Amino acid sequence: MASIMERVLSKLMNKNVLFTVSFLVRLVMVSFGVYQDRTMVVKYTDVDYHVFTDASKFITQGQSPYHRSTYRYTPLLAWILTPNVFLSHVFGKLLFITCDVLSGHLIYLILRQRGLSCEAACRVCSLWLLNPLPAGVSSRGNAESVLTALVLATLLCLELRQLPMAAILYGLAVHMKIYPVTYALPIALSLQRKENVEERGVGWWRRALGFPLRLLNKELFLFAGVAGVVFCGLTVLFYNMYGWDFLQETYLYHLTRRDIRHNFSPYFYMLYLTADSPWSLALGLAAFLPQALLLFLVSLAFHTDLALCCFLHTAIFVSFNKVCTSQYFLWYLCLFPLVLPRLTLSPKQGVKLLALWFAGQGIWLAPAYYLEFEGYNTFLLIWLAGLMFLIINSFIMVQIITHYKPSDTKQRLKAE
Amino acid sequence: MFVFFSTCTVYLVLFGSTQADENSCGLSMTWLETVSVTMDVSKNGFHRDLVTTVDFGPGFPDGLEALLVHRLPSGIYIDQYQLASLKEDTGLQVLLGSAVDLEAPAHTSEEFLVLVYLALDQGILKATLPIHGRYHKPSLAGKRFELVEIKLPKLILRTDTCTQLISFPPYKMVDAPCTVHNLSICQWLEIQHLQEQDPVSLEIPLGDGSLVEPVCAGTLLVTLLCCVILSRSIWMHGVFLDNVIPI
Repeated sequence: MASIMERVLSKLMNKNVLFTVSFLVRLVMVSFGVYQDRTMVVKYTDVDYHVFTDASKFITQGQSPYHRSTYRYTPLLAWILTPNVFLSHVFGKLLFITCDVLSGHLIYLILRQRGLSCEAACRVCSLWLLNPLPAGVSSRGNAESVLTALVLATLLCLELRQLPMAAILYGLAVHMKIYPVTYALPIALSLQRKENVEERGVGWWRRALGFPLRLLNKELFLFAGVAGVVFCGLTVLFYNMYGWDFLQETYLYHLTRRDIRHNFSPYFYMLYLTADSPWSLALGLAAFLPQALLLFLVSLAFHTDLALCCFLHTAIFVSFNKVCTSQYFLWYLCLFPLVLPRLTLSPKQGVKLLALWFAGQGIWLAPAYYLEFEGYNTFLLIWLAGLMFLIINSFIMVQIITHYKPSDTKQRLKAE
Repeated sequence: MFVFFSTCTVYLVLFGSTQADENSCGLSMTWLETVSVTMDVSKNGFHRDLVTTVDFGPGFPDGLEALLVHRLPSGIYIDQYQLASLKEDTGLQVLLGSAVDLEAPAHTSEEFLVLVYLALDQGILKATLPIHGRYHKPSLAGKRFELVEIKLPKLILRTDTCTQLISFPPYKMVDAPCTVHNLSICQWLEIQHLQEQDPVSLEIPLGDGSLVEPVCAGTLLVTLLCCVILSRSIWMHGVFLDNVIPI
């Protein structure tokens, strides 16, 4: 039995087989979703997918997609999904599962670029491609896979030093969702000119003064210029088409979002209880400071390894954010396969940390279920579970930072 | 003369009383008195079903259209997109009186009107409306739940067969959209004697405002602690200025 499993797994780790199988699995899930929506009361498709489709319908009628309430995304998404109205309702889901598998392929390419063998890269990729979480999310009609594909493509282009392409993809990613803007600092730091031999010989204070000069170089201006043109161009275009609604729903809502309803964030209960108090602004700022400080530190500390830096950036951003839903986890899960090969944790330790992460979610989900669906007053338990989840996430991140070996992967593989 | 008067009296007695009992649209006073409405809330938590049943005696008039007029409090809301999907699945026909904000808390929301067009299904007039609780302001007095009361709906009737509904007391005439498509206004008869049942209520959990200080202190303490632990780890293992700080 074990040898059959081994043979199946080794066949699966062939690149073409792996990608074909992952696409087929997602296709089956989409088909099942269509069947479930038609026959059962509980729907497979996520509410967001209906929001996108309704917004696309408004666009086909020549109106603003923001006529659809709770549509808080870029008009570009509604434009891309107009075939949902013309061709088939299932077009968007097919697009999202394709982007999902594409994300897996980009992970594979980045890992190969960083020195992994084909088989090792396939094994790591399969953590994303055969993972039910991203497969489920994209087959249900969430658009997260479009963004993960854009972010991974940006990182790949940066690894290959294809700066104009990286900048275009980065500008597009920031236009679609704001959170990649936090990568600006690590990317800028990674583009700085390396010190030459003479510069290393002088005292540390001279090197510190030389730092801004090395930072503001031609490559940074190229990247910032192209990304800026893409982002501002899209903003101006859609502002002309849809006015203030576009800015409000796509950007301002997310920046000022104060969702007092229960979510994974450790700040949820504090914000709910102080929603109408004069302290609310000060507390919001107090919640922002740890996030900002950690993001700044991570940028300075790990910009030499962009994959780890972006992973930690997003994990910290999500964990310390004022609002946190399970969709946000995909933003850093897509970067985890890039970090995994250089971790010195044993598989046993890895599985324990994974179990801890799931346990943290479970501890939150239980009282949240009883609040929302049974009507018990479990607010205090939800608050404590939120704090516990933050502690668990911080612990896991500390373990990853502590056991990360930024040394040459090739040497390690040779030793193995 | 006597014959004339007696004929008139007989005529009035025979047809006059029928007119008083039944107006020209086939709605008889006796049948209307058998009509009653009951309402109940099922399920638990923030997502409930409001089940309204209209009971009536035998002799259901042909072509009768029944409409429930709910005035729902600000403590709950209805999802118009869920209603659109239910319309396709179960044929539930609901018209919302105004746009409903799906995310606003109770104290910034208002009560709103909901029109439910009932259809006879196996001899029963019943509607199940999915309602959702809004978040309420935290309580300062240790109250753990907020009671949201839903008053009984008004029932209004009309018949398809005739366009001219003549009013007859004690029932009064009201104007309302003829169908769920809201293309024209018709005259409906409001059934008055139904308000005997107490309003139904549902409990919505509330945050505990008296704990605001320990919650704020606890949250900020834990987030600060996690921030310090992470910062220490980043400081110790970070690369910083490319090979300047040896690890």
